[in-house]
Amino acid sequence: MKKIEQRAVVCRILALLLAAGLCLFLIRYFRGAGDWASSAFNRHLYNSAGQLAAGTVLDRDGDVLSWVEKGKRAYYDGETVRKATLHAVGDLQGGIGTGALNAFADKLTGYSLLNGAFGAQRGGELYLTLDARYNYEAYRALNGRAGTVAVYNYRTGEVLCMVSAPSYDPLHVPEDLETNDRWKGAYLNRFLSSAFTPGSVYKTVTLAAALEDIPDLESRTWNCTGSVRLGEETIVCSGAHGEQKIGDAFANSCNAAFAQIAVELGADALRRHTEKAGLTGSYSVDGIPTARGSFRWENMTEGRLGWAGVGQDQDLVNPCALMVYMGAVANGGRAAEPYLILRTKNALGIPSLPHIPSKTGTLVSAAAAKKLTDMMAANMEKTYGTQRFSGMDLCAKSGTAEVGEGQTPHAWFAGFLRNENAPYAFVVLVENGGGGNSVAGTVAGKTLDVIVNGY
Amino acid sequence: MEQLTAPLQTLLNMLCGLLAEYPLAGVWYTAFVRFLFPVLAVLILWRVVRSLLKIPHTPETWGLLSLPNGASIPLTHWENIIGRGRSADVHLGYPSVSRQHAAICRGEDEGWTLYDLGSKGGTEVNGVRVETSAPVAMGDTITLGGVPLVLLPQTAAEREEQERKRRGERPAAIFPSFLWLTVFQVLACLQLIVAAGETAPVSIPLAFLGLTAVMWAYFAVLRCTRCVGFEMEAIAFFLSTLSLAVTASSAPGSLFKQFFAIVLGLGLFLVLGIFLRDLTRVQKNRWLMAAAAIGLLGVTLVLGHSKYGAVNWISVGGLSFQPSEIAKICYIFAGSATLERLFRRRNLTLFIVLTGICIGLLGLMSDFGTAAIFFVTFLVIAYLRSGDFATLALICGGAVFGAGIILRFKPYILSRFASWGHAWEAASTTGYQQTRTMSAAASGGLLGMGAGNGWLHRIAAADTDLVFGMLCEEWGLLIAVLAVGAVITLAFFAARAVRVGRSSFYTIAACAAGSLLVFQTSLNVFGSVDLLPLTGVTFPFVSNGGSAMMSAWGLLAFLKATDTRENASFAIRRRPSRQLTEEARRRAESVDDPFGPETEEPHEED
Repeated sequence: MKKIEQRAVVCRILALLLAAGLCLFLIRYFRGAGDWASSAFNRHLYNSAGQLAAGTVLDRDGDVLSWVEKGKRAYYDGETVRKATLHAVGDLQGGIGTGALNAFADKLTGYSLLNGAFGAQRGGELYLTLDARYNYEAYRALNGRAGTVAVYNYRTGEVLCMVSAPSYDPLHVPEDLETNDRWKGAYLNRFLSSAFTPGSVYKTVTLAAALEDIPDLESRTWNCTGSVRLGEETIVCSGAHGEQKIGDAFANSCNAAFAQIAVELGADALRRHTEKAGLTGSYSVDGIPTARGSFRWENMTEGRLGWAGVGQDQDLVNPCALMVYMGAVANGGRAAEPYLILRTKNALGIPSLPHIPSKTGTLVSAAAAKKLTDMMAANMEKTYGTQRFSGMDLCAKSGTAEVGEGQTPHAWFAGFLRNENAPYAFVVLVENGGGGNSVAGTVAGKTLDVIVNGY
Repeated sequence: MEQLTAPLQTLLNMLCGLLAEYPLAGVWYTAFVRFLFPVLAVLILWRVVRSLLKIPHTPETWGLLSLPNGASIPLTHWENIIGRGRSADVHLGYPSVSRQHAAICRGEDEGWTLYDLGSKGGTEVNGVRVETSAPVAMGDTITLGGVPLVLLPQTAAEREEQERKRRGERPAAIFPSFLWLTVFQVLACLQLIVAAGETAPVSIPLAFLGLTAVMWAYFAVLRCTRCVGFEMEAIAFFLSTLSLAVTASSAPGSLFKQFFAIVLGLGLFLVLGIFLRDLTRVQKNRWLMAAAAIGLLGVTLVLGHSKYGAVNWISVGGLSFQPSEIAKICYIFAGSATLERLFRRRNLTLFIVLTGICIGLLGLMSDFGTAAIFFVTFLVIAYLRSGDFATLALICGGAVFGAGIILRFKPYILSRFASWGHAWEAASTTGYQQTRTMSAAASGGLLGMGAGNGWLHRIAAADTDLVFGMLCEEWGLLIAVLAVGAVITLAFFAARAVRVGRSSFYTIAACAAGSLLVFQTSLNVFGSVDLLPLTGVTFPFVSNGGSAMMSAWGLLAFLKATDTRENASFAIRRRPSRQLTEEARRRAESVDDPFGPETEEPHEED
């Protein structure tokens, strides 16, 4: 019998395996239950059309963007506002993963691990940090072109404006949404989930690296003849800029000067500063992970490194990460991390705890940030002009990113305000828009004008 | 029947009227009881689990072997191995004794038999050499490798001391658990009525009240026969209550059927338990049981019809059942063996043949879940019987090879497992059931949506294969985990009870039944949440289904038959132990006072 007793260990092992499996299930449950519950076929949270069956989405000043009426989901009465806020609010079919109806379904329904979906039908309220009006203006400024506009407060982290285009009316989904190139990437929130060739806006990173790593940078000059030969590549400039100091090279967005600086810094230094700037990392915006930017630094020839240093070659940058970097430059090296949920109220009307702001790491050294800020401010005077940006103490950098032969380049405009009462960083991208300053700069001007000077 | 249900119907109508008038009352009731149910479940199970895991206890003693040095070793089983080895039940540290020298077994007729296990030093009884086996009587001298031992009965004092000790360890009173369970049943019944609203059928209160009545009747009857251990029954009744709730939610029409399945299962539990009392009778019927296992599966293959892909249903006169469920009981019955038989037939050939036939038949029925259960049960029984890792590894290898060949010729079987681990990527095709289960389970949270408030029951096989999801959704994760924990407890009990088991037949059967229940639970739970392929087996006691319910209760009888605590189990014969005490008394008295009065049974005073 003692022998059998020893062998009975198999019985215990089986029981322990069941217990272990149960623990594994519990781990998966506690990690994934929110996602499992947020399935369109879950009738506790979604109606038979797969629409989130409870919860109201509002903007920061209480405009109701989406709510449930008689079991069906309704949207703001105004087609352009619906389009401008689509990627923030979300669609009915759950195609837009970053929309509040999808990403914050648990907060809208009051779903929790303890309570499950019990009482979810009553629904809660979710206030976004966005102002629908800002989105509306930004969307109109984009004027039907693909791209993204975003503005956030680098001190608090509130995202005030977040538009992604192309967008569509969630109440009248175009039939050719999946097939027509016009709607390409309409489900994508370009601000959070995409990465694009940055072009010259990346020079802000190269410059910060140079300010930190090249001691005599500001006393040196660069001679631009319209192009420079680096290894096997010819780096072409927008014009022959002649003898210039670093500030002028930056204002001229001189490719020749910055390509030579990039080669002088070397791939490792550039990689280090790019990673430090947060351009290869991912932010969690209320749980929504942003796309990571990507760069290639291995086995780079001099010529390719030169191109990479001016934001071409294989460089890809996420607009959100770039905006946060702008915020960090403005804020002495560290900025608040962006967030989208201003506050929530559950079904019983109990408000959520206030948002605890969290700061990024040091994305750029304080000294470099200060100098960079001055040079970006000088850009306005020297190159971009200030008449489009009345009442703003603006610092910015434009970018015109070449995206391939025969294609109009992407237009970028990124920067920040130094106004004490308007500590905003912004990013504008117009896909295949053309000139950075002329196209994206104008969109930025229109959007910021509403935010700073009111409507 | 009409007369029986009429007053209940009136009461139900009144309740429904009240609920319609005050709809908020129902909402508040659900909101309140969903916190209460996990608490009640813990109250029910806590005492039960603690009491079951206290095992082993002071073992029964059936005789003594006195050593040359004057010490004596108690024989605590009906089957004891004597030897020098560490794993011998009677450990003798003499170099002339073989590691596993001899076995001494007690028969149903109270006579002892000594078996020589191929020892080097030889075995003698009263100086006569034992070739294979020889009967031994109390007072006989057994010589093992020259070491003389005397088989002696315990003295009256020793027995009284032992019985006092055993009585002190009597199982915890389980009636509080039954009381809590009754509260649980009443509240669950009300909750289901609230959830069903005005359409609540009278079968809900009838089935629940019926279960409560059956439970207390069982308790009362067995208490009258001085039974004290009700832990396993409490677990089974608790899980059966969940089964009724799941059925009421998913298929209110089959609520009566499920209730009668519980009653029939309880009947099978009692009959099988009483049958198991007599080891001689059990041994004689093992062949019959082997034949029954093959017969049941064979009949299914010939007459069965398919449901969800597996041909495992038989319909007779409008009733359909799954004989393969009952075949599990027969299989364990046939596969377990006494030590005596293990000496006579050291190899597993016949058992392997039986297993091969059973699994082959199940394979032909495409019931691979049950086939896997049989195979794991086979491994457990075979290992307990032989302890032979090498052979079993070989068999496992063969099984993998065989499975490979089957898949080669029937590749469509693989398609069932295609989405395993990727259910979410195939949410609308092969991962349909698993994703629905997980989503519904997540919706329940820790406390559940309230019984009857789920949607998973609309999915095919929700109350059988996906029942874990229904438990999570309607009853909450806590109760679902407690239900699995209850099954785990049964297996641990089986493994621990071996130390004090009477015969290896009982202990092997109990471990096999415990392992089977655990493995079946694993397949059900993990299959439904995509940790294992979905094989379509039931959750013991909980799934809706008559045959499965009866099978689970039947398997519980094997566990009950290994519970040798004092007066704990109706499936354990109490007479042999009592007789030993009586004899010991008589011997003691005959020295002092041959005409002394008959003493009272010490057990009677309970």
